[in-house]
Amino acid sequence: MASADKLINTDVPEKDVFALHFLRSLSNLRTQNPLNSPDKSIDRVRKIKKAAYVSMARAAGGNSRLWSRALLRRAAKDDNKSVRFSRRKRKVTWKISSKRRRSNQRAPVVEEAAERLRNLVPGGGGMETSKLMEETAHYIKCLSMQVKVMQCLVDGLSQK
Amino acid sequence: MMNSSLLTPSSSSSSHIQTPSTTFDHEDFLDQIFSSSPWPSVVDDAHPPPSDGFHGHDVDSRNQQIMMMPLNDGSSVHALYNSFSASGSLPNFHIPQGSGGGLMNQQGQTQTQTQPQASASTATGGTVAVPPQSRTKVRARRGQATDPHSIAERLRRERIAERMKALQELVPNGNKTDKASMLDEIIDYVKFLQLQVKVLSMSRLGGAASVSSQLSEAGGSHGNASSAMAGGSQTAGNSNDSITMTEHQVAKLMEEDMGSAMQYLQGKGLCLMPISLATAISTATCHSRNPLIPGPVADVGGPSSPNLSGMTIQSTNTTTMGNGNGKLNGNGNGVTKGSSSIAVKEAVSVSKP
Repeated sequence: MASADKLINTDVPEKDVFALHFLRSLSNLRTQNPLNSPDKSIDRVRKIKKAAYVSMARAAGGNSRLWSRALLRRAAKDDNKSVRFSRRKRKVTWKISSKRRRSNQRAPVVEEAAERLRNLVPGGGGMETSKLMEETAHYIKCLSMQVKVMQCLVDGLSQK
Repeated sequence: MMNSSLLTPSSSSSSHIQTPSTTFDHEDFLDQIFSSSPWPSVVDDAHPPPSDGFHGHDVDSRNQQIMMMPLNDGSSVHALYNSFSASGSLPNFHIPQGSGGGLMNQQGQTQTQTQPQASASTATGGTVAVPPQSRTKVRARRGQATDPHSIAERLRRERIAERMKALQELVPNGNKTDKASMLDEIIDYVKFLQLQVKVLSMSRLGGAASVSSQLSEAGGSHGNASSAMAGGSQTAGNSNDSITMTEHQVAKLMEEDMGSAMQYLQGKGLCLMPISLATAISTATCHSRNPLIPGPVADVGGPSSPNLSGMTIQSTNTTTMGNGNGKLNGNGNGVTKGSSSIAVKEAVSVSKP
């Protein structure tokens, strides 16, 4: 889909990419727990949810977005896997630390909303507000795509 | 007589305007011309120009400089140039702006006015004198400090505003003009999407108890998804208090008016159905591949599972409710309180189609 904003590129791949990644992750899950349902259904739910998020992050372009990287890193940390990321410039964190002193000049309305957003969007803790909103836009697009994919799957599979 | 108003050209792209190396007496004036930042330009008539007039030679040299400006709106600028050479003096002119980043004040005079007042009231009170090679030159507003902090601040605000505009198109119901409510909307939408992912990941399993327990604690008055119990016996996870309370509330409402009871239920994302239908649904969904087919209900109206919503509307004898179309069948025999209470327990959520 074409992004309306010429400055910021928030393009997101098509639905098929998301579907592919998600199905692949689901089949991986199935091979891990072959048919014997694991102890609690809650765990299965969590695993599926995590698989959904991880596949979404991968489909959205693995490392190219801050939130996807943070998500993948968080997921890998839970599994005690090591994540390999290409090193990117770490300008972002510096920016926050230098500007935090003057934070009272920022519009407090925007800032408190940004704080809430930071808790929601993965990887939002180290970002400046403008960068955060850019990430949010991309994140929203990817999330809605993922939801569409999952909904299609559920609908398709639930027909008798 | 109006003072001239010089508007800086705004370009959304970060094109830099290269100024030649020759220096001018009135650097401020040039800085304003060649500023390429997409900021609201300054127009302030009340401020006295820093200099009373331009000398002729300065004007000419300036004219030459001006010619080299790449502007978005080429045509009007060319017209400007023509008028320049024609008049020979420095008229008041305004450079119409390209795409604005935000609020642009356009005051001003067309290029046909040739007033010899050298309004370098182009300079407004508070321009920053910067060497011509500076890139992001900004004209400060009247009364604002010209320290780089406030300029950076404004640049930042511009950026945030433009990103918020991009976000506005993504979020449904994004027609709020107020920044605060727009931000709230964005946050709620992100939460809603994450909740949808969670619900959809639950639905693929059939973990009825887990689903219900998680959702009932997630808050009742919000239209959260509640799932159909497979077999109706797995209500263990439910917090019974909320259900009892709901039941009482519904019973109370039903005494007065059926419609209000329906609306109350609808607000909770529940619907009322006869027991026979509920058991029919639960047995039907037991046999299907996905024994649990909740319809996710959300504030904004998530997508529905079509088979489910189809089933719940079919009843003819009793009152049922489809969320999407709000059908209210006539309540012929009257649903007794007892049966209704059970129906609420086994409520099936129907999402809006």
